[in-house]
Formats: sequence, structure tokens, C-alpha cells
Amino acid sequence: MARQNSRQPPPEKPSDRRRRSHIILSFWLIVLCLGLPIWWKTTTIYRANLPLQEMLDWSDGKACRPVFPLHISIQANALQEHEAQHLLRLTQHALDDLNDFSGHHLRLQLAPPSGTSHYDRDSVLTIRLAPGETSTANFEPHEPVLDITYPPNGIPSPTSSSSPLATYIASQLRSAFAEEQAAISSLLSASSIPSDHRPQGLSPDASDALSKRPARSLRYAPTYHLTFSLFTGGPLPSSWDIEGAIDEYMKPVLDILSPIHNFTIDTQVQLYAAPGVQNEVLNKEDLSSFINAAEWPLSPSIGGAPTINFIVFVGDQTIATPSQQSSSEGDDASAPASHSWLIPQWGTVYLLPLPHDTTHLAASALKQPFLTFTSHLLSLTGIPQSGSLPLRLSTLARIRSADLLLRASSTLGSLARLALALPSISIPRSVADGVAKTIRHLRLACETLGGPEGLAHARVAEAEAERAFFEKSMVGQLYFPDEHKVAVYLPLLGPVAVPLVMGLINELKAWLKRRRDTAEAGKGKKRE
Amino acid sequence: MGQFLSFLWISIFALLAFSSPALGADYHEQLNLRPLPQSALLASFNFRSNTTVSEFEKGNFRFFPRSLGQILQHAGTRELHLRFSLGRWDAESWGARPWNGAREGGTGVELWAWLEAHADDEADRKWLTLTNALSGLFCASLNFIDGTRTTRPFMSFQPEGDHSTLTNMHLLYGVLPHEVVCTENLTPFLKLLPCKGKAGIASLLDGHKLFDASWQTMAIDVRPICSPGQECVLQIEQTIDMVLDIDRSKRPRDNPIPRSPPADQLPCDTSKPYHSHDTCFPADHTANQDWSLSQIFGKPLKGTCPLTDPAVPPVCLQVPDSRSVFVSEGAFERKNPDQVSRCYEIPPSADFEMALPKPDSSADTTTTAVVAPETPLLYAERSFTGHGQERGGVQTILRNPSPDTDVEFVYMETLPWFMRIYLHTLQARVAGDARTPNSTTDDNKLVRQVYYRPAVDRARGTQLEVRMRVPPASTVFVTYDFEKSILRYTEYPPDANRGFDVAAAVITVINPHHGEGGGEGSGDDAGGKLGRVAAYTLRTTSLLCSLPTPDFSMPYNVIIFTSTAIALAFGGVFNILVRRFVAAHEGPEGGLGVVLGRVKGRLVGLVKKGVEG
Repeated sequence: MARQNSRQPPPEKPSDRRRRSHIILSFWLIVLCLGLPIWWKTTTIYRANLPLQEMLDWSDGKACRPVFPLHISIQANALQEHEAQHLLRLTQHALDDLNDFSGHHLRLQLAPPSGTSHYDRDSVLTIRLAPGETSTANFEPHEPVLDITYPPNGIPSPTSSSSPLATYIASQLRSAFAEEQAAISSLLSASSIPSDHRPQGLSPDASDALSKRPARSLRYAPTYHLTFSLFTGGPLPSSWDIEGAIDEYMKPVLDILSPIHNFTIDTQVQLYAAPGVQNEVLNKEDLSSFINAAEWPLSPSIGGAPTINFIVFVGDQTIATPSQQSSSEGDDASAPASHSWLIPQWGTVYLLPLPHDTTHLAASALKQPFLTFTSHLLSLTGIPQSGSLPLRLSTLARIRSADLLLRASSTLGSLARLALALPSISIPRSVADGVAKTIRHLRLACETLGGPEGLAHARVAEAEAERAFFEKSMVGQLYFPDEHKVAVYLPLLGPVAVPLVMGLINELKAWLKRRRDTAEAGKGKKRE
Repeated sequence: MGQFLSFLWISIFALLAFSSPALGADYHEQLNLRPLPQSALLASFNFRSNTTVSEFEKGNFRFFPRSLGQILQHAGTRELHLRFSLGRWDAESWGARPWNGAREGGTGVELWAWLEAHADDEADRKWLTLTNALSGLFCASLNFIDGTRTTRPFMSFQPEGDHSTLTNMHLLYGVLPHEVVCTENLTPFLKLLPCKGKAGIASLLDGHKLFDASWQTMAIDVRPICSPGQECVLQIEQTIDMVLDIDRSKRPRDNPIPRSPPADQLPCDTSKPYHSHDTCFPADHTANQDWSLSQIFGKPLKGTCPLTDPAVPPVCLQVPDSRSVFVSEGAFERKNPDQVSRCYEIPPSADFEMALPKPDSSADTTTTAVVAPETPLLYAERSFTGHGQERGGVQTILRNPSPDTDVEFVYMETLPWFMRIYLHTLQARVAGDARTPNSTTDDNKLVRQVYYRPAVDRARGTQLEVRMRVPPASTVFVTYDFEKSILRYTEYPPDANRGFDVAAAVITVINPHHGEGGGEGSGDDAGGKLGRVAAYTLRTTSLLCSLPTPDFSMPYNVIIFTSTAIALAFGGVFNILVRRFVAAHEGPEGGLGVVLGRVKGRLVGLVKKGVEG
């Protein structure tokens, strides 16, 4: 109807039509080939390439299987070469039979008999075999040396397949390394690394204590800061012979630990300090709130080293039911009466009852508190409880390196999961560098586990992993809400896009119509 | 004059304890109460503890607070001064400032310290550590003292302590005028004291009263003190000065809202001839100067701190000897020979209470009730001049009340970078003197020396130090103009329309006697640094500078406006390019004409129907 009434414009020239198509096409080409890439380039968030799969492998324990090959050399100066070899073979067999944890190998080797008085520095432990009356085993107090004597008939004959001496040595070794083994295997099982080995033969109590140990000890740091504080509820005593007490009771232990940690010390006296709990008898629940964190100036040191607090609180408070206390806290069995408790990863509080008119605390009065502090310091730094001291220190180094290795791996895993979970988070190049460095050092650490380089590499890896994970610029643009994007884009893109899209649609419509028309015209021609 | 003597007495007393640390105990505290005219009371708390340098370096802290000591060690700080202040000292009625102004700061937080460093970079790094650590310790925003708020004063500050060498020491000065000082700053302050707030004069300190004061300042000063033949000690001095309005402090705590008293209880001056039941002339404030410790501080004094030096009386009061004072049992009064001050020995563990009854209504109450305030060496006030959002000016009025002596001082301004000052407009003229300052001879020149460090946008502020003098009994106007710059969108604080605080100007009066004693001393050495001891320090009030503030929805407006413009242009051009244009008679009829024709036809049809119906 309408068509009949309206006049039609004169047919368009094909050249005009072509020109219009070209115009629309070129506009769209510019938008798609120039506009979109520029927009994309300028608004994408920089995400450096991370070796995500490798990182996840590390955290799942697929990349490294922590193996601690411990070399133990045997010095048997009194034995013939072949006798010693045979004994060694038998002992190794006995050890392998006893061992159920593949990550922790004790490898025996024969030391050259020449080094009579020295111990082998490359091996963890040197066993000195010497003939004697009966079978005895003694640790040297200052060297990693185990002296074993054997009765004259203890040497296995070359043909025998078992020997009481070999079994004896094996059981001694095993008991010496049992705690380390258990600690490392509990570390591994606590992490996500699949372990086919469970510490067996451990009572539930012991494994419970083992699982508490990493929770109690502080994170590894090359330097610890020790703060000794005297708190008193009233005005007295206001001075103490702290220097003397430290020199006498603390210094020896610190000197022993000095190869692994440095220590800085400061001390303070605080009067009129009210504890967080005013009860005369402290229950277990009270112990956690005894420290009056709001009022006591126990701010951590600002140098970056973690602070361990040792507090002597002058007061008459006692701790309820010492037996329960010591069993629940686990480590206090050594303290004669329960005057003290250990706060995991933080320090120790010692309650010191004193006559009310004491104005000065002499070093002798501080003996008991400081003995407690030294034993707690060992426990806070994570040193094993048993064994000879050099052995305990080397064990600490191995446990620490395993711990750092696992921690760095799990940090890597967290970073990888974070990068996967948040597609809009930016990943600067420094993070990628940190990850690369971490992985390199982790690999090195994994290869040299058990040695001193292993600890150094694990330390670097852990520090790098932490730095990469806590990179500040990653969170900067994380929260940019979508409404803002809409508010910025819509006013520009909306009005520009409408004519572009409408032009395209019209052109397509016209093109379709033309096609239909030509087709109809063709048909009409045919019919004619 | 009597008042001056009393101050002298106390300062000699303080000096004795101060200069011979090994003779006295390692800790001392004293509270000085001085009633001021107009029903005000100045309470000066002073706590001072010493530690030997060797003990400090070993980290054995007894009276010296460990938390602060650690920070000082870590940041290599040799001398530290920290101030938290609030309110304004009314010099016109209260006279000279306590401690000659040495223990006070401008409104907000002020910090200056001498750091040991080999280079400026190192000093800046240590300064950053120091400010951040102090910020955590005192719950103040000290970490906002960045490069733009840090200056290195050239003439204004001199170390108070004894330093063996000044070669590697860097003085840095930072100020936060916007910081609101409040209870959360007092609590850590009290924690630094050996007796906390539990015993001794510190037990009177309470946030409610302290921050209700008309003027208050908290100061921490750490400096090394060396006396010949003895080991050097590190001294920490904590001072709180506050001026309490007695009437306001006496207001009961359960009824803190001020209400006007009933008509029959109004304090009226009955001596006026027109005084009657319906006419009241307000009585002079000084008339009702009666108060007691527990009334104005809310609690009595809880004994003494057992660590304090027993030779130093813990409480002193400066009122004329003629006034009677009641104290609680066991306390012992000792009048000082200057006739206007007395001190009290306090029983160690009993509460101490002191009450001042109304002065005897004798003939001249003003002279007997309070000690007449001492006239300060200089009065100063500073204000903005000019109008508009683009330019402004600053005018400081400095008045020398002395009839016969010049006052020479260093005037220091630290201005934010967005106040761009025109140094050539800096002018000093004596009021009533029409001559321009440059025409006068060299001797009479008001401005002696100018040290100016221009601002760098967003990097550092302006530092202006002017050494000048004010002739006797005259007033000097110091003026300069500045231009306000426009900040970037993100640089405005949330309350941009409130204005930007400009730190107080620090005026350090140079000790006139020092130069004479020291020979070439203060005159020209090292570019005219002032003598060791400043005679008097005062600070002007801080200013509130309003900058042109944009409408903060501006970015979105701009986006929408430009987008619309672009869209219009683009749409037009695009349509012209792709549309086909034909002459009107060639094309189909369309547009408004067609629509109108249809509507017309309908209407005509309807009308026809109506006519037929």
C-alpha cells in the first residue's frame, strides 16, 4: 500500500554503492585492526610468565624427594681390613633391616686407619671401635664421635652372616638418630609431600610431642634477639644483676649455638606491671592470658630479627597442678617445680616468689630462672632433646634445611595457586625472577640436603619465595570494580558504536535486498 | 620580678640535678603548679631518668625505656626531641612560657633529631626508620613525615646534649600540624615512665583532663650528658605542661555539660554601683581561685614513685607566701627563699591532697592571689592576608615588650610545597615606620640573614629561616606573598574543603649574652649559627590554608563530556559519509510532513464522525 503511494528515489549508481561499502568496511577495519589491539595492549595487566606447573610440582613434592644420606665412618684401628669390611657389611645390613624410612639413609664407610685421633669431617658421625671388656657405647661430649668397645669375641668371623657386635652398633646408631628421623618424617608427613614412610614404633605421645615441636620452635632466622625482662607488680625490686646472670648461665649455651645463630640481647626492668590474670593460682587457661600485652612493653625488636622474650615475674602466683601442666606443655619435665611455662614461638615466663622488701636481685637468685630459660631457649630454637651436643647441632641443621625446603616449596605452591585463582592480579617481573631464583636454589638445596650448603641454599630459597609471594605491587590493581570500567567505557563507546553498528546493519540489509532483487529479476527473466 | 626569681630558683634547682647526674639518683620527677591569671592553672610535670652510655649500648635498660632505646640504637639517633601539642598559649595574659619555651612544640606533632650518618642519603634512611618506629610506639602518624615535611634547619636548632663531635651528625626536623593529639598518645608516653602512671605525680595524669586543657604539650627529649671526670649518661626527659581552666576542670564528671548557673549563683562583682538583683557585672576570674588537686585532676596524688631521687621534692607550688595552702597529713611544706614558691615532701605511700582556699578578700586580690606572670621576651602572632584562591600572604606580627633592649632571633617557617612563596616580597618593617626596610643603614637593618631553601613540587617543602631583630618597644611586621598551587586529583585529602594545615613558625630568641662570652661565638661562625643555648623559644599558631578544591566528581564529568563531544562529531561525520542524499522531490515522502498529514486525516475523520453522530 505504502509503496504504491510513495515515490521511489532514482536507482543509485553502482559506484556510489561500492564507495559506501568501502567506507563502512574501512571504518570497521580500523576499529578491529587498530582500535581493539591498542585498547587491549594498553589495558591488559602485566602478567609475567610463571612456571606454574613446576611450582605446583614443588609444592606437591614431585620435584624433589628429600633424601638425607648420612655418612658415618667407622674407625677400627685394631681390626684387619677385611674383618672391618665384613663387620661394616653386616652392620649396614642390620641397619637397613631396622630402617623403614627411605628418606633417611645411614651409610657406613670405613675410615682410613691412619687418622687415629681425628674424626672424619665429611661424615656426620665417626664410630671408633676399640677392643674392651664388654660392649659399651659412649658419645664424646664435644666431637661427633661415638666410642664403642667390644668384647674380644665380638668380631664376626668372615663366614658368619650375623654378629652381635654388628647388631649392637646398628641399634646404637638407630637410637642416636631416632629423634631426627622421626622429626624429619613428621615434617614431611605434615607437608603435602607424599610419604610412603610413617614413623613406626613411636608411641602416640612421642609422635604428639614431635608434631608439637615445629609449632613451638621459632622460624629459622640467622639472628635472634633475646629480651630479658624483670616484671614486678609493685615498686620492688627495681634492679637486678642481669649481666652477671647472663654471663654465668646464658653465655655458655649461646656460645654453643653461635655456629648456627647469632644472638643480640637486651634487658629491662618494669615496675608496677599488673599481669593479665590476677588469680593466686594460675590454671592452664590463665597461662595464655597472663601476659598483659596491652600494658607490658614487650614490643619486638625492630631490627628484623625475631625476638624471644624471657620474663621473670616477681610474684607469689603459683601454677595449678604441676603434673598436669608439665604433661600438657610437654617440655617442663626438667623444671623441678612448675614456676615457668613456655609460650610457643614467643618465649618463657618464670614466676619468682621473693620477700617483699627485696630491692636488688642478685645473680644467684636468678640461677633457677636462667637454667629454665636456657633449656627453653634450646627448645624454642628447635634443637633435639637427646644425644651429644655436636650431634644435636648437626641434626638441627638438617631439620632446619628440611623445614625451609618444605616451606619454600609450599610458598611456591601458594603463589602458583594464587596466580591461577586470580586472573586479574598483576604479576610483575620481579616475582618471576624471585620464583626462578627460588627454584634454582631449591634444586641445589635438594641435591645437597644434609650438608651445610643445603641449609644455605634452603635459606636463600625460602627468603626469595617469601619476597616473591609478598610482592607489594601485586595487590595494587587488584580491586578495580567493574562499575568503574563501565562508567569509563560506556560514555565513549556507546555513542560511537551505535552509528557504526547501525551503518553495518543497514549496509547488510541493503546488500541482502539487492541480492534478493537480482534473484527475483533473474527468475522473472527466466519466466519470460 | 618575684615570679622571675622563683623561676630562677627552680631552674637552678633543676640545673643542679641536671648537671650532676651521678650525684643525684638516676630518676627524678617533679610537678610544678602555678596558678595563672584568669582562673587558669599551669601544671608542669617533669620526669627525668638517666642511663650510662655503656649500659645503654649493652642493652641493659633500667629506667630508660627499652622500647625507645631500641629505636634510638637502630636508627643511630644521638639526640631526639619529640613534641605533641594542642591548644594555644595565651602569652598576653599568661606571660612567658614554661621552660622558656624549650619543651613545647607547635600544634600537632613535631620531631627533630640528630642522626649519626656519613652522608645525607644515609641520614634520610635512618630518619625514615626513626619516624616509622616512633609512629608505632606513640600511635601517631609520624610515618607521614616524608620528604615533603622534612627539613634540615640551618640556624634554628642546636643540640642540647654534649656531643664529642658534630661532624657526622645530621639534624632533621619534621612536623605534622594536622595530627590530633589524644589519649592514644598519652598512654605510650606514660608507659615509658619507670613508675608508669601507677605511683608518683604521673598518677595525676589522665587523658580526660589532659586533653581538656586550654593548652597542653607533651615532650620527650633524649640527649647525652657528659660531665668532666664521669661517664657520659644518656638522659631522657619527659615533660607535660598543661594549662587547665580551673572552672572547667572543677566541673563534676557526671555532669560535664556546662550549664549556666541560676541567677542567684552568678559570680557578680558586687562592688559595682549598678549591681542589683537583675543587673550583674561578671566578677574577675582571679577572684575564685580555689581548687584542690583531686578537684582539678579528678583524683589525688598516689604517693611517690619509690625510684625517685629523695632530695627532689615531688610537688612544688608557686603562689605568694601570703596565701594559705592546706595539705593532707604527713606532707611537709618547705617555703623557698624567693617568697613566691614552696615545695612539698610527700609521704611515700599515702594519698596526697592539696587544697587552695579562696584568697583572703583583702584590698588587692590580683597581686596576692597569683604570682604576676613574667613578661616574655617577644610576642608573636601570624595570620594569612589576602583573599581569593590564587594568591595569599602571610603576616607575622612580632612585638618586643622590652623598653631598652633589642631582641635578636631566628624565625623559621617550614611551608608545604603547594604554598609557593615569593621571596622578593619578604619584607620586615617597624610598625608606624613608613620607610622601606632596604633604605635604612646596615646597623638598623631588621633582617640580618636569610636562609632559604625553595620547595620542589611533591618532593620537599619550603624552608625559610630569617635571622632578624626587633628594636626595643616596637612592633615589626614580617610579610611575604605566596601563590597557591593546584594539586593533583589524588593528592587531596578526604576533607579537602577544611583546608591544609601549615606548621607553626618557630622563633628562637638568641641569647644576647652568649656572643659576648664566647668571643667570636655566635656572630659569624659557620654562617651565623646561634649560640649553644637559646634564650627563649616560641611558636606561633598553625595556619589553615584553603587551596582551590575541585569538584571531586570531575573525572567522570570530563569523561562523559568529552565522550559526548567525540560521539557527536563522529556520528555526524560518519552519517554524512554513509548516507545517500537525494533531492526532496525524488525521494519518498517522509519525515514530519507525512506524520502530520496522517494525524490531520484522523482528526478530520473523527470530527466528521462527531458531526454526523
